[in-house]
Amino acid sequence: MPAVSRSSAQTASNPVRRIRIPQKFRNLELLLLIAACAINAIAIVLVQLGALGHIDTTLIVLGAGLSLLVFGMHVAMRFVARDADPFILPIATVLNGIGIAMIYRIDLAYGDVGWASAAVRQIVWSAMAIIAAIVVIIVIRNHRVLFRYTYVAGFIALALLLLPLVPGLGREVNGARVWIGIGEFATFQPGEIAKIALAVFFAGYLVRNRDSLSMVGTKFLGMRMPRMRDLGPLLVVWAFSMAVIVFQRDLGTALLYFGLFMVMLYVATGRLSWVLLGFSLFLGGALVASQTLDYVNGRFTNWLDAFNPAIYDAPGGSYQLVQGIFGLANGGLLGTGLGQGRPDLTPVPQSDYIIASLGEELGLAGLFAIFALYLLFIARGFRIGFAGQDDFGKLLGVGLAFVVALQCFIVIGGVTRVIPLTGLTTPFLAAGGSSLVANWIVAALLLRLSDTVRNQPRLVVNE
Amino acid sequence: MTSELTLLVLRLGFLLLLWLFVFAIVYALRSDLFGQRVRKLQPTDAVATAPPAGNGHSSPPKPSAAAPVFASPAPAGPVSASAAAVAEPVLTPAFGRDVASAQTAHRLVITSGAKAGAEFPLGRDEITIGRSSDSAIVIRDDYTSTHHARLMLWNDQWMLQDLDSTNGTFLDGARVTVPTPVPLNATVKIGSTTFELRR
Repeated sequence: MPAVSRSSAQTASNPVRRIRIPQKFRNLELLLLIAACAINAIAIVLVQLGALGHIDTTLIVLGAGLSLLVFGMHVAMRFVARDADPFILPIATVLNGIGIAMIYRIDLAYGDVGWASAAVRQIVWSAMAIIAAIVVIIVIRNHRVLFRYTYVAGFIALALLLLPLVPGLGREVNGARVWIGIGEFATFQPGEIAKIALAVFFAGYLVRNRDSLSMVGTKFLGMRMPRMRDLGPLLVVWAFSMAVIVFQRDLGTALLYFGLFMVMLYVATGRLSWVLLGFSLFLGGALVASQTLDYVNGRFTNWLDAFNPAIYDAPGGSYQLVQGIFGLANGGLLGTGLGQGRPDLTPVPQSDYIIASLGEELGLAGLFAIFALYLLFIARGFRIGFAGQDDFGKLLGVGLAFVVALQCFIVIGGVTRVIPLTGLTTPFLAAGGSSLVANWIVAALLLRLSDTVRNQPRLVVNE
Repeated sequence: MTSELTLLVLRLGFLLLLWLFVFAIVYALRSDLFGQRVRKLQPTDAVATAPPAGNGHSSPPKPSAAAPVFASPAPAGPVSASAAAVAEPVLTPAFGRDVASAQTAHRLVITSGAKAGAEFPLGRDEITIGRSSDSAIVIRDDYTSTHHARLMLWNDQWMLQDLDSTNGTFLDGARVTVPTPVPLNATVKIGSTTFELRR
């Protein structure tokens, strides 16, 4: 009977189709995640052995709850993002966990317990961040949805940046007006979320307009210079970041936004002239700012003449920077061991200076392992952008990865005295809820991108 | 409670653990970082390296079985792979041509149809072909089924499988009924589109 043979042939081929996509990426991710959670637990135990001399289970139980959430994200990805990159989640988990261990170590030195403990707050924020990442990966099933909301994303970014300037809502901490808060607690840095919205906006804007930006213009000095009317967006973003410097007094964030725009412009158009023009504009602006604005000027002198006793002792001087460098030197090659150094001597060792704290206790070897993890994370992001087939996905992948890269450079460069110190958070490591939420959302978006990239047809033949 | 020595050992152990984690990731994505492993294809190389591989180690089978069948450039490294290809029970094409393996075939070229001339590099992932947009090659014409056929690596060798399509998949004019090894430069026809695996 032909009908029977046909149906039997179908049932024979159906299992083949069902196992068409083996979840080898997810299984690899599971293995790495187990290793990552083990590293995090061991880090907390080592901190306790080093600083307390005995093991206390409270924080380990909290950390285990966090591990459960991470595994929850893994399970969610088994259903909604089967082909996503297997390395991003474990790397983010390890960085987050090492950060918590280090913050906990500083708490022990300060004697903070319970709700006063920054580590407990960091764990709560991490939980919220991971839940946000899970929501992003479940809700956004295809990154091209974001392309539709290009200008909405632009307005959201602008609104988020202006929020701290609203009287009554904004909070000023250490001179920088970048926080918002309701009441005494629940402070948040909207600029962290704004950087994601900006990356979406820039990617969408450049995909729509890059032809007019790259094709026309007069040649000058062997480079094709853009027309005046195409310069508009560049000047707007430049003015915007200068406004951040002047009104919010936040040099690092301004550098981050502007650098993001320049790199995405370069990737979209391939014109070096844009980048040169942009950076000369920024350097010019920064130079003027350093001469006219007190706090920018202070940052420059702290950087150039850090070991001068007059500057070291001055209020707002280079005391913190130099203490961080002394801490790094104390750590040496292999570090003092977790819980056995004195990172608490540096002011704010758990947020801005967490790299110096880690460098002291884990040494150069440990610090380089952390840098290697950042490098792998960022390389995965670039790789995802590189493998993408639609321009928007490419640009967004590169932009998001570059935000993380530039932020690492600005913070770590500042702490190690390569560039002037500016207040930004080390991604995933530093104490700070808004930064954690933002970076986990970046990770979730990269995961979503990598999944759609792998599922795209490599060739479409239409009759 | 814990001695200095224990703490020292734990401290070094933790650094080692961190680096092991880094290297585990690097190892897992080595092909992405450094590209696919390049294998020498010169026949002289194959002759030079094959005998020690057969004699020195006990595990890889003797290359002598594989050599006569694939007279021309035998890959130097994967002796076991080409030997396994011979042992495969399915009908090997009797053209005397090279079978497209992961080492010999590097691109898929569309030779006729609406996208004639288009090509893309072959990786190690399987390639599904069909009308459905989750296929690797999407062909939208009147003859293609939703999930029409697929190309996959079996023992490092590209195999063509028809997924019970209505109008059939043809390899050098013959309809494919069981998973069949694809020779290099052989024409695969699906609907009005044909393609080849090339070096």
